[in-house]
Amino acid sequence: MSGAPRRIVIVGRDAALWLAACALQRALAGAGVRVTAIELPTALGPASLYASLPALEALHAKLGLEEATLLRATRGGMLLGYNIVAPRGGLPPFFLAHGGYGAPIQSGAFFPYWAKARRFGMDAALEDFSLTAMAARQGRMLLPDEATEAFGRTDYGYHLPALAYAGLLKGLAQRLGVAVRQAQAIATEHDGDTIRAVITDGEPVTGDLFVDASGAEALLLGGALGVGREDWRAHFPADRRLIALAPPFTSIPPYAEWRAGPAGWLAMHATPGATHLALAYRAADLGDDDALAAAASLSGLTPTAVSVQAVAPGIRDAFWRGNCVAIGAAACAFDPLLDLDLHATQLGIVHLLSLFPAGANFAAERVEYDRILRSHLLRLRDFQIAFHALNRFAGEGFWAEARERALPDTVAHTIATFRARGEIAPMEDETFAPDQWQALFVGLGEMPESWLPAIDRTPPETMKQEFRRILGFIKDKVLEQPTHDAYLASIGRSAAA
Amino acid sequence: MADATGLDGSDGRYRIVIIGGGTAGWMAAAGLVRRLPPADYHITLVESDEIGTVGVGEATLPHIKLFNDMLGLDEAEFMRETRATFKLGVEFRDWDRPGDRYIHPFGAFGEPWGGVEFQHHWLRARDAGHAAAPFEAYSYACAAARANRFELPNEDTKSIRSTYSYAYHFDAGRYVAFLRAWAIARGVTRIEGLVEHIERDGEDGDLAAVTLKSGQRIAGDLFVDCTGFRSLLLAGQFGIGWEDWTPWLPCDRALAVPCAHGGDFAPYTRSTARRAGWQWRIPLQHRIGNGYIFASQFIDADAASDTLLAHLDGAALGEPRLLRFQPGRRRQSWAGNCVAIGLASGFIEPLESTSIYLIQAAVSDLIALMPTPEAAHAGIDPRFAAEFNRLTTMHYERVRDFLILHYVANRREGEPLWDYLRHMPVPDSLAHKLALFRARAKAPDYQFGLFSRESWLAVLIGQGIMPEGHDALADGYDLATVGARLDDFAGRIATSVAAMPSHAEFIAGYCAMPASAAA
Repeated sequence: MSGAPRRIVIVGRDAALWLAACALQRALAGAGVRVTAIELPTALGPASLYASLPALEALHAKLGLEEATLLRATRGGMLLGYNIVAPRGGLPPFFLAHGGYGAPIQSGAFFPYWAKARRFGMDAALEDFSLTAMAARQGRMLLPDEATEAFGRTDYGYHLPALAYAGLLKGLAQRLGVAVRQAQAIATEHDGDTIRAVITDGEPVTGDLFVDASGAEALLLGGALGVGREDWRAHFPADRRLIALAPPFTSIPPYAEWRAGPAGWLAMHATPGATHLALAYRAADLGDDDALAAAASLSGLTPTAVSVQAVAPGIRDAFWRGNCVAIGAAACAFDPLLDLDLHATQLGIVHLLSLFPAGANFAAERVEYDRILRSHLLRLRDFQIAFHALNRFAGEGFWAEARERALPDTVAHTIATFRARGEIAPMEDETFAPDQWQALFVGLGEMPESWLPAIDRTPPETMKQEFRRILGFIKDKVLEQPTHDAYLASIGRSAAA
Repeated sequence: MADATGLDGSDGRYRIVIIGGGTAGWMAAAGLVRRLPPADYHITLVESDEIGTVGVGEATLPHIKLFNDMLGLDEAEFMRETRATFKLGVEFRDWDRPGDRYIHPFGAFGEPWGGVEFQHHWLRARDAGHAAAPFEAYSYACAAARANRFELPNEDTKSIRSTYSYAYHFDAGRYVAFLRAWAIARGVTRIEGLVEHIERDGEDGDLAAVTLKSGQRIAGDLFVDCTGFRSLLLAGQFGIGWEDWTPWLPCDRALAVPCAHGGDFAPYTRSTARRAGWQWRIPLQHRIGNGYIFASQFIDADAASDTLLAHLDGAALGEPRLLRFQPGRRRQSWAGNCVAIGLASGFIEPLESTSIYLIQAAVSDLIALMPTPEAAHAGIDPRFAAEFNRLTTMHYERVRDFLILHYVANRREGEPLWDYLRHMPVPDSLAHKLALFRARAKAPDYQFGLFSRESWLAVLIGQGIMPEGHDALADGYDLATVGARLDDFAGRIATSVAAMPSHAEFIAGYCAMPASAAA
């Protein structure tokens, strides 16, 4: 172990900085590693919000951060999935759930049975067979128990007001023993690809390993070490994003409402304190004032605390160079669709932990981090590209052009395999489960041309019985669930007690 | 194209014609007839008694049990009929250096503690001076194999006796016969005969029919090429080229000979490194299968035969039989309406008993990607072939890298073949894995395909590659506690293994071949 890094310096801001600081400190303090966080001014505003994927719960568990504490401290809520709506027509609404769809029939996957039944005239939508989607549509929670575990996946994410979440993590980092310094700006000292120190207020902070969590500008990896970046704007039409607040709903839906507009899309994330709005659009179609009007019209609400940012999705050519590792947007900035940035940050942290250098030479770890993180990030990107490519939303510019863009081979292959057979071509390092890909494709109006021939051995009567059993289970189970409002209220009460 | 007249017995069903009746042909026939709806698919297999089968693959991987379970075979009956024994792994003798030996087991090493993989705790404890046992001592399968003991794994996943799985050694000829009878009873049409003529739609279109020497014409919608190395359809008709892997896997000959029982009745395959290759030992109920896989560039067949015969544990039952092969694979396994399975698709030497696994994977993929009967008139949808070929490439290349690992990480200095192997350039995909393990004890962990992380660990450590570092997270655990857990784990394995029946006792009570057959 001689020469393994002992001093980690993380430069960054907001959730990426503090999640990385907490995770590294928690995992490595016992091995004698010291973590210093250099905090840059926040890029968040009151309207900023993190929407998380289900995996975040496991990272929180490792940090000792309990769900009730999290929701109380951030005034956040649950996120069971996205309700995708096209108010101007083109497509019926569909629910993109974080949980699973259906339950196995005769030990086989559910989806092909559903596809076959639809071909023969069954009405029930795919989401009708999703416990998560059905609970969400009724404003209810989905608290897993033995019966739901046996039934299928019931995962969920969170809606986390961003300033409060970053603040919570910062407090946790300090309690865990992370040394914290504030900086308005930084400079670096480096020999070639090796960073010696980060300089703040004229004072050098030296370290063995530097983590760049500074966001898309990548102050260390891009700025100091000059690692280039591949622009993804050819894949994604949006180049602007407006965020704003609106008054809270009286009842807080445990899901995000996503609405296609004529020149972009709007997401509405409900929390007890406020409804967070995010509009993605193109500067060529809408000025920022038009965008504000569009956000108001698409949401039917009055936006306040408005801010606008440029959107420039892209990925660094490398994520680890010398002794500098990028996580979050410093490694890869995503299109805002489905809010993948926090998950991408988590992937970087998890892989950095599993590849934390065992010696003074990081070459093997560097190559592997670049390989495996890139593979994960491209699968996430592919999901977003598929969403854009297969859209049937009305509108001449934004959505029509999104349908025309060239597809990476992996996406083209995944779509072709789905269309031919309804199956998702298995690939390594995938975040979304096959049934989530299938729900996306079906929701966007794609139906497979065939299904697994093996399911034709199942008698139609058995299929019908199984469908009835699944729908009956969901109906009963959803009714047992507390409403989201009641659940959030009970968390509040338990704090007061 | 479906024959609406139904004169061939297909009754308008989609016609799958399998050419070749070896292990690949009958595994395909059995798998397809078991999973596809009989109302929609008609399966014909053409084979000839005049063509011998290679019959490699007397040793298998645990996946074979999934295949047999999918068919619904009774394990004891199948084992009796195929004279099968149990296999807990492969012992490699003299592979790293003469005198060394290790087992690649079917099972776990230790258990992860605090989310940190076991090998890191083990390495850290050793580095810190704890007298940890050899890595093998933490594998239940290794301990049972060394003791020549066997019993079925416990189904309670909390039990230490659930931490292994098993495969079989069996008589491949008998397995084929067993599957043939099973598949015919379930509706597969078997036709005896030699293919003499192949018809295609137009000059280079899909395959339409084969005509046998007898004059019988068999038309089909999809053809499965199980004709072995000849690859009568895929190579012969579609001209799909061969990717040669000889630079990485230079062995190109095998001499095989069975012998009478002697030595250990081992619940594992043994592979012993020899000057110009390696020798296998596969104990069955009625005999031991042996063979010498060698590189013809480094030894001639007579000398190889002498070596083989000098290292048998019992009297040779016949003369050694010579097989020639070239390692590699067809650049595509599915072209037009022709899918190749088994040796027609590729060949990888049986070092890790992957031949039958690769057949099984192809059969599973073909079941999932089988064209629908309605589409028969339109020809084959190329999207099915694209996905099948992508998956097949993954299966073969992952197995290839794992095999190369055994060869490149050797310290048999001064032997020309092994010196070459130690210094040969390896695929980038493997070089990266080796560097990562050397640096920090991290082993590949695929979600799809072979081999598992535990298998990589077994061979990496077995071949003498000791990592320079380990996961720093392991350093956060109290050394005394980790040491006590290590000792406890190995102790529980030893105690539990001592109470197991011997391999011979277990077989006698479970699946012994008929006494009349033993004579």
